[in-house]
Amino acid sequence: MQTRELFSQFSPFAFGMFYLIAIAAMAAFVVGLAQHILRYRRGRPAGVPVDWRGGLRLMLDDVVTHRTLSRRDPYAGAAHRLIFFGFATLFVGTSTITLEYDIVKPLTGQTFWKGWFYLGFSLVMDIAGVMLVAGLVMMIARRAWFGLAKLDYVRRYRGDTAPLPRATAWKVEDWVFLVTLLLIALSGFLQEAVRLIVDRPPLSDLSPVGAALGGLLSGLGLDAAGAAAVRRANWWIHGVLALSFIAGVAWTKGKHMVAAFGSLAVRDSRSVARLPAVAEGDPVGVTRMDDFSWRDLLHFDACTKCGRCHDACPARNSNYPLSPRDVILDLRLLAQSGDGAADPHHVIPPETLWACLSCGACAEICPVGIEQPVKILKMRRALVDKGEMDPTLRGVLETVANVGNSFGEPARKRGAWTRELEFPVKDARKEPVEALWFVGDFASFDPRSQTISRLVARLFNAGGLDFGILFDGERTAGNDIRRVGEEGLFEALSAHNGAQMAQSAFDWIVTTDPHSLNTLRNEYGEAVKGRKVLHYTNVLADWLESGRLKVTKPLGRRVTYHDPCHLGRLNKEYDAPRRVLRAIGCELVEMPRSRDNSFCCGAGGGRIWTPDPPGVEKPSHGRMHEAAALGNIDIFVTCCPKDLTMFEDARKASGHEGDFLVADIAELVAEAVELRAIPANYLPELANRIAESLAEKVTARVVPELIQALAAQSGRLLVAPPVLPAAEPTDIAAEPAVVDAVPAASGEWSVAPVAPAILADYDRPAKTGLRILVAVKHVGKLGDEFRFRPDGLDVVPEDLDYQLNEFDETAIEAALQLVEGLGEGEVVAVTIGSEEAEPSLRKALAKGAHRGVRVWSDAVSPADPIAVAALLAGVASLEAADLVLTGVQSSDFANGATAAALGGILGWPHAAVVVEMQWDGKGRLDITRELEGGVRHRQSLPAPAVLSIQSGANVPRYATMRMIKEARSKPVADAAMEAIGAEATGRRVAAMDRPPVGQAAMLEGSAAEIAARVAAIVREKKGG
Amino acid sequence: MGGILVVAEHLRGNLSAQTGEVIGLARELKAAVGGPLVVAVIAADPVRFHAELALDGVDEVLAVEAGEHFDPAVYEEAAHRLALEMKPRLVMLGHTVNGMGFGPALAVRLGGSFVSDAFGVEAEGGRLLALRGGYGNKVLTKIDVSASCVTTLMLRGGSAKPPPAGSAPLRIVPLDLQAAAVRAAEHRDYVDPPPADVDITKAEFILSVGRGIQDEKNIERFRALAERLGATFGCSRPIADSGWLPKAHQVGLSGKVAQNCKLYIALGISGAVQHLHGMKHVETIVAVNTDRNAPIYNVATYGATVDLFELADALEREFN
Ligand SMILES: Cc1cc2nc3c(=O)[nH]c(=O)nc-3n(C[C@H](O)[C@H](O)[C@H](O)COP(=O)(O)OP(=O)(O)OC[C@H]3O[C@@H](n4cnc5c(N)ncnc54)[C@H](O)[C@@H]3O)c2cc1C
Repeated sequence: MQTRELFSQFSPFAFGMFYLIAIAAMAAFVVGLAQHILRYRRGRPAGVPVDWRGGLRLMLDDVVTHRTLSRRDPYAGAAHRLIFFGFATLFVGTSTITLEYDIVKPLTGQTFWKGWFYLGFSLVMDIAGVMLVAGLVMMIARRAWFGLAKLDYVRRYRGDTAPLPRATAWKVEDWVFLVTLLLIALSGFLQEAVRLIVDRPPLSDLSPVGAALGGLLSGLGLDAAGAAAVRRANWWIHGVLALSFIAGVAWTKGKHMVAAFGSLAVRDSRSVARLPAVAEGDPVGVTRMDDFSWRDLLHFDACTKCGRCHDACPARNSNYPLSPRDVILDLRLLAQSGDGAADPHHVIPPETLWACLSCGACAEICPVGIEQPVKILKMRRALVDKGEMDPTLRGVLETVANVGNSFGEPARKRGAWTRELEFPVKDARKEPVEALWFVGDFASFDPRSQTISRLVARLFNAGGLDFGILFDGERTAGNDIRRVGEEGLFEALSAHNGAQMAQSAFDWIVTTDPHSLNTLRNEYGEAVKGRKVLHYTNVLADWLESGRLKVTKPLGRRVTYHDPCHLGRLNKEYDAPRRVLRAIGCELVEMPRSRDNSFCCGAGGGRIWTPDPPGVEKPSHGRMHEAAALGNIDIFVTCCPKDLTMFEDARKASGHEGDFLVADIAELVAEAVELRAIPANYLPELANRIAESLAEKVTARVVPELIQALAAQSGRLLVAPPVLPAAEPTDIAAEPAVVDAVPAASGEWSVAPVAPAILADYDRPAKTGLRILVAVKHVGKLGDEFRFRPDGLDVVPEDLDYQLNEFDETAIEAALQLVEGLGEGEVVAVTIGSEEAEPSLRKALAKGAHRGVRVWSDAVSPADPIAVAALLAGVASLEAADLVLTGVQSSDFANGATAAALGGILGWPHAAVVVEMQWDGKGRLDITRELEGGVRHRQSLPAPAVLSIQSGANVPRYATMRMIKEARSKPVADAAMEAIGAEATGRRVAAMDRPPVGQAAMLEGSAAEIAARVAAIVREKKGG
Repeated sequence: MGGILVVAEHLRGNLSAQTGEVIGLARELKAAVGGPLVVAVIAADPVRFHAELALDGVDEVLAVEAGEHFDPAVYEEAAHRLALEMKPRLVMLGHTVNGMGFGPALAVRLGGSFVSDAFGVEAEGGRLLALRGGYGNKVLTKIDVSASCVTTLMLRGGSAKPPPAGSAPLRIVPLDLQAAAVRAAEHRDYVDPPPADVDITKAEFILSVGRGIQDEKNIERFRALAERLGATFGCSRPIADSGWLPKAHQVGLSGKVAQNCKLYIALGISGAVQHLHGMKHVETIVAVNTDRNAPIYNVATYGATVDLFELADALEREFN
């Protein structure tokens, strides 16, 4: 039976030699593989569930169909398909021969590689070889002549004009890889050709390519002897090349052939939509290579440098300093160095990390399932943890931590947008609803988005949906907070919202905000408990199609639609908005980049909170050009509050103002169903309706507002007018230790110096070094609406939002910088306030103060700086402090007096409005005070001293949620006051009122009308 | 016993403008409080200030020789000694940076009442009510200081007018200030703000932005708007503190006073006292703030509670 002899005419030495090389090559492969696997195992847990079975099935599917490789690049897909299947077939073929020769035959004496099987085998291998060569030639042509930007490693987005040395090495590697494979394939064919010339087997062993090549070589004059010589030499060339290739797999580009399978098999179908959690006890962010998870490490190796992510990335396209491909490649280099302790931040600069929009475009198109944004995010977590971020972003995070929204609005105003509605919106915490509407920050607070929220509410109402919202119980969902890298804050927000939802009865969740939708759907877990989280376009599409909402006026507009990243790419909701547009009679013209290839508006990943680096073209502008190029579009439709904001801005700024409108899909629907809404300012009719329907809750909600509206007109609130109390304030609590009343003016003139309050001793560590006290205050802030207490001595407590006095943050920072600079010392935060002041004390601890002390007495008014100073003096004496810092003033009562009063009581040197301070902890303090007009006065003071620190003296650090959590376990002593002198207390507000109404003439009307008035004023003043 | 003691303030040889204002209010209160109005000045060469301080209504000018430069310990000690001697009903000084440096310390040594950042005193039926703000100046509070035998009162700048010149005699009061020595500050030097390419003091038309603009990235947009309108670009302190604009743009107490300004547009500025200090005298002020209760409206000629970004959009169109 026909077969072919292996190792024909081999000396035993050559034979042994070959096996030695082969075994060494295999060993190199296995060792390499093992080394990589061991390295991955050093990584941290995946942090997301890994579905091995589903993953494997999906991986096989992807590999067989080559789906992921053909997307958006069919040429590369076709070429890779040829290479892959050609190579795989040749690999299986070669393995079959080994199986017979080295295993089956030695063990059983049986052979099967002969006869028809042999002939068929030869034919198949010939075809596979042709496929391989064709694929390789296609790839070589692509690299050599297509001039593809994505295959260019020059970092133009960073302003480079030449490749970095490591990029040049990658380029060489790419070529060596292709050329080696090609040489292996060609030498295989040559081997076949010369064998056929020498052996002349029947049917030429059914090897058409070999036969043809043999014919050609014979025709060129190669005789049997020559062929035999070539055969001997080429056998070694082919063999050694092939074995070196195997040996090199683990160390070269070839490793994607293994890693990509792994990466695809452990793919997370919800990657980017669902971010890995931080396990308890694990570091928050990545600061060492082995802080990455094993999946991350595997991903680095799976990268083939195909550049699809580089092409798709909106940041890279807009000249931000980021290419997802280069991030992965740089991290891979570091990972391969094998140093688990290496700091990835040394190779990926912060501006690169902050450039990511976490839109998921890169991960979406990656043919091997790499999750680039996840690596970036994990590194961001470390930056946030160290407080290394843009001050604007830091401000936003602090605001969100303080008030639960990024707009810095008081929580109680979250539901304010519903007030203009002509029907009540249910409070889902108080009564069961079918749908819980999670509104989100933008839709709640941004004025433009609020109008959309009201439209959506009216549409829901028109469709008879039983819905409710959480009002002040809702906080930012946390999607973007998490993507910024503030994991702790995200946990706190999701826990809060989760608890609010747990209190409410509802069947499903709806939102207009894709960002909220994403995190609720994918990251809230238990809180959402398998309930559906729908986008309003899902609801509207169903209603419009079923007739629950009737289109009475088809719009007939030519529109284009922008897929929000978080709705489309991350949650695969591409169709509902398109169904809506179809139902309302719009002609949809798709932009070149749509659906999974949608181009981020530039707001994602918290970028909306970070200033753009110079030289970037905003992604939203690029998008506007793209839409304008469609020609004759009436409307650019969005269905995401952030998109609306971004594109409204971009349309004007990019010069397309006259080309089309930007509108939310709800606005179009409202028009198409001719939604009739009662004008919001039509109060009399509303009042009638209230009277008629006697809807109790409406009354409850609207009446206070009517009262306020009326009160605003008459300039006073309809509460009892403040009565000026007679001589004595009425609310002095009877404290035994307080000596009654100060001598009246009629009595003897006398001085009564204020002494420190006497405090009961409390637990505190022994003093071992420098001790700096920082006085911090929990201050109340009034919003734009407030009422007075009936006694007219203060405002209604509910109208105050409390937070740490912002000026104190500067003082805390100054103290921390001092002890950090000296390398020793303790910072003690002290607050004079009731238990309610604890959050501000904790915040001071979170920022780095080592422990806290809280003192309170009802005999003291927090608005009285002297009483506050007397209590602080009590603490400073007990603590034997070396330095006391305060903020320059508190933002509520702005007495600007605490520091000097404290200095006076203690008899210590003191200074106010200090902007610079140097101290060695022993001698005199060098200080700079900022005087009127910005003049600075430099002085020195003996220690111990009291200083008030002016804002701007430093940039207060950001307390990450981790620090906030740690602060919970820092010690806080509650010091009890035993006695305070009468001279220290008793200063109280006698009356509180609205300031006299200013003389300002208020300009009313739309922004355009007001602008016209302002313009007229400007022109008059300038022209006049 | 009784009367009013005013502590004067000066810097680098110049009397502080606020001292005249404090004397102005003291003169108005003289009748209600009773007793003399005495002004004390503490300086290396205090006699020099006699003429400037001998304003109408002042009964006596006290000159205390001490160091030339402000030192809280010295001021506190000197004022305390004078108060012990004079036993005044009111001790008044300016709510200035130096005032904040020693006023409260003086108050705790005297005991009695204390009101800082007051902008007026109502005297009615023997009662004295000091007026000051509260909750970021969104409310007006009245503090009853009638019951105390002495009250230390720090007056906000611009709350009263200096009286015309008068003819009070000068008395040199030799005081032993040794007690203050242990706490004394040592003067180093004064540092003037660096020269800058904007001059708020000279500008006739200023467009200022405050924290309402939210983001550093919006600075450029408003700078361009100011340019388009032909306005000098100003800001509130937090904007300069954050480094979004150089300090030279800052309007207010610790920044620059818009001395020659005829038209001031304030976008997203709440109107803190210290900011108002730099601009409230301007003839025409346009304030844009979404908070109808923002104190800026107390000084504005025109106001609009419109979102400043929307207004900026519209203004950009107006001035295209
Ligand atoms: C000794 C000392 C000296 C000082 N010197 C100065 C000084 O020289 N100059 C100075 O300015 N400050 C000074 N300050 C600081 C001052 O007390 C205030 O903190 C500061 O003026 C507040 O600045 P702001 O008005 O910009 O910010 P905020 O008080 O935070 O006000 C921002 C305002 O913007 C409004 N707003 C927000 N969003 C919008 C929107 N979209 N549209 C319209 N309005 C909006 C808000 O309603 C708010 O009223 C000094 C303080 C001290 C203690």
